[in-house]
Amino acid sequence: MSYQVTIEPLGDTIEVEEGQTILDAALRAGIWLPYACNHGLCGTCKVEVLEGEVEHNHASSFALMDIERDENKTLACCATLESDLVIEAEIDEEPDAAGYAVEDSVGVVARIEALTPTIKGIWLDVEGDGVAFQAGQYINLSIDGVEHPRAFSIASAPSQANSIELNIRLVDGGEATGFLHSQLAIGDRLSFTAPLGRFFVRKSAPEPVMFLAGGSGLSSPKSMILDLLEAGDSREITLLYGARNRAELYYYDLFSGLAADHANFTYRAALSDAAEDDSWDGPRGFVHELAAAYFGGNFAGHKAYLCGPPPMIDACITTLMQGRLFEEHIFMESFLTAADGAEPARRSALFKKF
Amino acid sequence: MAKAKRLGLKERYSLMTRGLDWETTYQPMDEVFPYDKYEGIKIIDWDKWEDPFRLTMESYWKYQSEKERKLYAILDAFQQNNGQLNISDARYMNAVKLWLQGITPLEYAAHRGFAHAGRAFRGAGARVACQMQSIDELRHAQTQLHAFSHYNKFFNGMHGFAHLRDRAWYLSIPKSFFEDAMSAGPFEFVTSISFAFEYVLTNLLFMPFVSGAAYNGDMATTTFGFSAQSDESRHMTLGLEVVKFMLEQHEDNVPIVQAWLDKWFWRGYRLLGLVGTMMDYMLPKKVMSWKEAWEIYWEENGIALFHDLSRYGIRLPKYHEVATKEKTRVTHELWATLYQYGNALGLHTWVPEDEELDWMSEKYGDLFDTMYRPRLLFLREQEQAGNRYFNNRLPMVCQVCQIPVFYTEPDDPQKQCVRIVEWADTKHHCCSDGCADIFNREPEKFVQSLIPPQQIYRGDAGGARDIFEYAEWLHLKKDIDTGEYNGSPDHQNWEAWQSQQPTPQANSDEAA
Repeated sequence: MSYQVTIEPLGDTIEVEEGQTILDAALRAGIWLPYACNHGLCGTCKVEVLEGEVEHNHASSFALMDIERDENKTLACCATLESDLVIEAEIDEEPDAAGYAVEDSVGVVARIEALTPTIKGIWLDVEGDGVAFQAGQYINLSIDGVEHPRAFSIASAPSQANSIELNIRLVDGGEATGFLHSQLAIGDRLSFTAPLGRFFVRKSAPEPVMFLAGGSGLSSPKSMILDLLEAGDSREITLLYGARNRAELYYYDLFSGLAADHANFTYRAALSDAAEDDSWDGPRGFVHELAAAYFGGNFAGHKAYLCGPPPMIDACITTLMQGRLFEEHIFMESFLTAADGAEPARRSALFKKF
Repeated sequence: MAKAKRLGLKERYSLMTRGLDWETTYQPMDEVFPYDKYEGIKIIDWDKWEDPFRLTMESYWKYQSEKERKLYAILDAFQQNNGQLNISDARYMNAVKLWLQGITPLEYAAHRGFAHAGRAFRGAGARVACQMQSIDELRHAQTQLHAFSHYNKFFNGMHGFAHLRDRAWYLSIPKSFFEDAMSAGPFEFVTSISFAFEYVLTNLLFMPFVSGAAYNGDMATTTFGFSAQSDESRHMTLGLEVVKFMLEQHEDNVPIVQAWLDKWFWRGYRLLGLVGTMMDYMLPKKVMSWKEAWEIYWEENGIALFHDLSRYGIRLPKYHEVATKEKTRVTHELWATLYQYGNALGLHTWVPEDEELDWMSEKYGDLFDTMYRPRLLFLREQEQAGNRYFNNRLPMVCQVCQIPVFYTEPDDPQKQCVRIVEWADTKHHCCSDGCADIFNREPEKFVQSLIPPQQIYRGDAGGARDIFEYAEWLHLKKDIDTGEYNGSPDHQNWEAWQSQQPTPQANSDEAA
């Protein structure tokens, strides 16, 4: 039996399993809550329960005092649920979050296209009002016979609510992506839940934006850039993309065309594994190296959006921070597949998001 | 769904606290806050300071007073039930004595230091954070004293911690650590205490002490520990915040912060040698070995933190690899030193029992069996033959950490490690490359260190001519407060109390 917790001031709702703590569920859902000791002694993770009932469990009576229990406070690291819950945590509000409700939908496969040898573009037609989402968000796609739903970022712009584009990389030995690459046919029906995720453009922040993407991490940036350009956003927009080789480099013409049409949009791609390839006269190397070269190692005054596999994200964060752009200006979506290993590297409490 | 717009906790706090300070006009800000620039730390925008406490004074008093009520209710019960009889063994009390003499005064020093740092910062957020921590630290000093005071009725050596603090040679180790920090600028102070000590090394300080107290039946200290730990999280967050703030505000701050982290990692590590020795030797029931604690709290957690810090251009602190090499040795070398200078200590020393030696063999392996066990067995033999060894001279102590210069070379556990540094035609002795580097970076500061043995030889210890007169000047009674544990009044009293116990307390050793 599971319950739902709505976390204010974000307004996000997450599932919490029986016996699971609020903190554990939030962190697994990608929502950072302040915490430190993680076993009820320090009180850093104190939250206010606005609606519903919790069990405080082994919260120390010094870290969560009687007056606080009376005031409906609880420690997220210890509290388990007795009902659905609304809590408020000490986290920043997101004025740019649209807060679209998560809904279950069905899409009909309308088009399948090989974008690269390992990435397929799949277009799903959705009837009625389609899918309301914010550019950068993802869907959880269910596939018959595959145990858990899989997350895929939406590559199309929110204006195309009835036609959802996904770019799906074939994961070695991947059950779901294997099916999608080899067996999916036009006319098939796929169920999914959307929209999900907290990766979206902070439009109210005036700074120029840069997108650093690698591999199939191009989906979210594509949607976000199309959305910005359609809205006539005039800030400077830079997309830096890294692929392995020429064959894996996709949507090159699309972005080159957009760059030609929009003076405020710049596109650069780099290839990391093209030593033998004489046909490529563009930059070589990884996307963080491309970024360092393009911005001259100084990123201060930007907002950066990172999307791609964990090692790419990690290298980009380091490069950005060495170029004086820090956590509050960096947003990211990191792809972990089962093959990447579920256990993240040991980390400290220094950063909230990284 | 129409949601009523309510203010978030963060927003509410900022509305309540924003704009409580002001730009001075009668006097320039630099005159009002003369100390927050000379260290070279550049702050572009104080408003970027993220307040780690987010607590109004009103709720602060409310929370802290409830904590006090709880703590003192438990301390009362502990005292009325003769809680001193429930500790594992009277030897455990020496851990409490060391804490009372060495660490409790540090809490008070932290109170003073944070009050001073708070006054020095021109940013209101940093000022308030330091002010609250200053009050917390005062409360920690007081509650520790109250928690320990009951033991003073039953055990020796606890009667004059304040007198000892400024006079005892071994207490100049913690005292000099804090005075070094307090006489630095406000940013270095907060980096040293909040970050290096309370964040990076805090688990190595609190875990052995509080868990050690719990393992050894010391209810008073355990309860104090819980009450303090709920404050420590704020202090740790302050440490993280101040370091991130400095590193993000200006790139010129990075090398300054790095130099402080190098210095305070090493100073903190050296100070923790005392705590490690307490863990390995003074706790009759062991929690974990110093080596294990170092591996978990430094080699895993600490290195992970510095891995994250590397994104700011911060590297691992200098000589961290030396500290790791020494993990199998420091506590054994330090205990041997405390043991031999036992005539001038406000606590007892002894040779551990056989099961404890076996535990050490298990934890420390070959090196313990070849180097330290034979020495301990020899000392035990001598003691049993009525020839308990004391070194009745004064040790040469390190000019920086003030620990006697007895540690060994990082790569040779049989060779004493001494580094001689020179300044203004005078030679000074250091215990390690780490301390020598700290001296060489600020020689004008460290030549001023008050070194207890030198002071004693100069006659500044009440004219004491030998170690016994010196101990008298410390108000320590020979063989009562000082010396060997076996046969001491503490030992005899404990045996007598145990034999009078209506319930067989002696069994508690086996039960655990």
